[in-house]
Amino acid sequence: MSGGTFAVLGLYSEAERIVEAAKQIRPRKLGRLEAYTPYPVHGLDRAIGLAPSRLGRLVMLMGVVGACLALLLEWWTSAVDYPLVTGGKPLFSWQAFVPVIFEVTVLFATFTAGLAMLFAFNKLPFFGHPVLHSKAIKDITRDKLALSIEATSAAFDADLARQALIDSGAESVEIVPVPVWDRALTLVGFLRTVAAIAAACVVAGTGLYTAEKLIPVVPPLIHMHNQPKLNAFRESAFFADGRGMRPAVAGTVARGHLPPAFATPEEAGTLLSNPLLLTQAIAERGRKVFNDHCAICHGPVGDGVPLLSRAYGGKPGNFLSNEIRARPDGHYFGVLMLGKNAMPSYAADLDENDRWAAVHYIRILQRAQNAKDEDLQ
Amino acid sequence: MSTPRSSLVRNLLAAVTALGAAGTAGVYFSVARERFWVNWLLWTLFLLTLGLGNLFLVALERLVGAHWSVPMRRVPERIASLIPLAVVLLFIALLGVPVIFPWTFPAAAHNPILVAKAPWLNLPFFAIRLVVCAAVWMLFYSFYVRGSLRQDASKDPAFTVRARKLAPAFMVVFFFSVTILAFDWISGLEPEWYSDMFGVYLFAGSFISGIAAMIMGVLALMRRGRLPEVQTKHVYNLGTLGLAFTVFFAYIGFAQYMLIWYANLPEEVIWFKHRIEGAWQPVAWLLPLLHFVIPFLLLIGSLGKKHPGALRVAAISILLGHFVDLYWLIFPTLGSTPLFGWPELAMACFFLGLGFLQIRRAMNRGADMPIGDPLLSRGLEWQL
Repeated sequence: MSGGTFAVLGLYSEAERIVEAAKQIRPRKLGRLEAYTPYPVHGLDRAIGLAPSRLGRLVMLMGVVGACLALLLEWWTSAVDYPLVTGGKPLFSWQAFVPVIFEVTVLFATFTAGLAMLFAFNKLPFFGHPVLHSKAIKDITRDKLALSIEATSAAFDADLARQALIDSGAESVEIVPVPVWDRALTLVGFLRTVAAIAAACVVAGTGLYTAEKLIPVVPPLIHMHNQPKLNAFRESAFFADGRGMRPAVAGTVARGHLPPAFATPEEAGTLLSNPLLLTQAIAERGRKVFNDHCAICHGPVGDGVPLLSRAYGGKPGNFLSNEIRARPDGHYFGVLMLGKNAMPSYAADLDENDRWAAVHYIRILQRAQNAKDEDLQ
Repeated sequence: MSTPRSSLVRNLLAAVTALGAAGTAGVYFSVARERFWVNWLLWTLFLLTLGLGNLFLVALERLVGAHWSVPMRRVPERIASLIPLAVVLLFIALLGVPVIFPWTFPAAAHNPILVAKAPWLNLPFFAIRLVVCAAVWMLFYSFYVRGSLRQDASKDPAFTVRARKLAPAFMVVFFFSVTILAFDWISGLEPEWYSDMFGVYLFAGSFISGIAAMIMGVLALMRRGRLPEVQTKHVYNLGTLGLAFTVFFAYIGFAQYMLIWYANLPEEVIWFKHRIEGAWQPVAWLLPLLHFVIPFLLLIGSLGKKHPGALRVAAISILLGHFVDLYWLIFPTLGSTPLFGWPELAMACFFLGLGFLQIRRAMNRGADMPIGDPLLSRGLEWQL
């Protein structure tokens, strides 16, 4: 392909002249018009017949695609594939999806804008423009403006183009030949370079990784989370029994955690009575214990309507029912220690005073729902 | 400037305003006082936010040193003349404060939340805040708008420099005053509720509707041939600004909604529950449609930003959306069904008539372009 004409280049020194020249030459359809200027010239894009960029539409399209994909991903992961109720919200909570949809839209749109601009519209990889080898390029990058008529068809007539440029007021005209490319500057050469760089990265990475494993290296930083410490659920070389968690000393009992002297709640009901005097402080404490541990299943007013969702399925006891109201204080205490049905023992979580305070509070709830006449005076 | 057509329009406007005024008086004596004052507050805030939005546009141009908007600057300066009118109306609204603000009711003394908020929400301090904010707005209004008019004759470039130097101070004071306006006059209607973002929300709404009002004003003057040197490239930039800030408004509005929806705290969520469920749901959908979706789709491409028809539809949609926004913020305090009947129409006629008359009067003040501004020629030569 060597020896042909790539384009005919005309040089101008004023921005107004080149715009005029482009307007003059364009209707003659001698070849594709292109302009090279050291600074942006207003109106030149329209004068050489540059169509508005299609990039915007592409970005819009990919933005919409990104939004749809994000919505699909979120709907499928959180409502279909792994339905998990979070914070009592519906599985398909579009409000929570919007930030991710927004971000993915922006991601798709910006990547499309950048990559399409470089590779689709600017035609990268591009190994040097023929005009860069012209004599005029020094002037173009300094203070001259160039208009070129490119040979886009076999019917291109270099002399006609040259004459048109001179007629339009070009100061000098140059014919730029089709360049002969170096072998390295072809697509194959480019791909080989990329492959070589990738191979070098793999070799260097593997080498460094192996070297670090084989040769002991002092770590550059000692992170706080790496310091020696006891973890209750991990083994530890610090104690003789090899455990991180310490068992109680043999033959001792923690304060407020005496083992039960009864076998069933019914037995506790006959044996025990509430030793705590009901005071404002005890009632407050009982309320806290109740709200922290009991209300989640038995409901904040003790009516056995759980705060949990219906999916829980259990049937917690209703403290307001006549049957449960009739039970003695010790019975409640016994259930707290031994557990009942689905309810686990709370002996480890609550000490004796907490348990008795909770019993007081349950009595208060029962009284509140079954007030006597004297309470209403 | 007084053609037969323009005087006909003025007379019509005056007639509608007079009718509206009569209707407003009728509303005061015939329906519940609450409804009257809520309407009064809604329309006062509508006019005030349009005025403040345009004053902000004027100061923003000074702050960033923009050239492109200088040839059109008379339009926001003239629309900003709504500020003195709306300030007077807002002072009258002080009379309605004990009628519509629950923190003034005797029952507030037994509400622990309102007792805790009493150091801020009490009548004397409320009035002081209003006086301070109004003084600040009037001061900056008179500095920017009157100063610019004086420059027509004096051609003094020193004013341009002074206006730029004062702009950062205006920004700071403006954000504080708009936040106070939003907290006091809108979220104060339901004083148990609070949202840190509410000040920004009102600011975003007034800024985008200020831009919309400016677009309408510029297009109206251009159609009458009063801005012969303003070209598509100038208007294009207004469209760009409109697109950016309609997105900003949607962003702020949704962020406020989503955070409250996510946290699900009873005292915060109840405010939205009253506004997006039941009879208010259609209004809640109308708001993003008018305020965001329609203008966004119209302005996203470069064609829409250059086309006067598309710009006008987008601006009208935003202004309608701004009304719906204020209606949706304020009216649910009256009840669970959206009220819109003859009292609303009468008061809309009155206030909108007043606003249009005020803008028309301002439109004939001074030259149509800031001919004394040294930046004007650069603005006219400005290229896209």
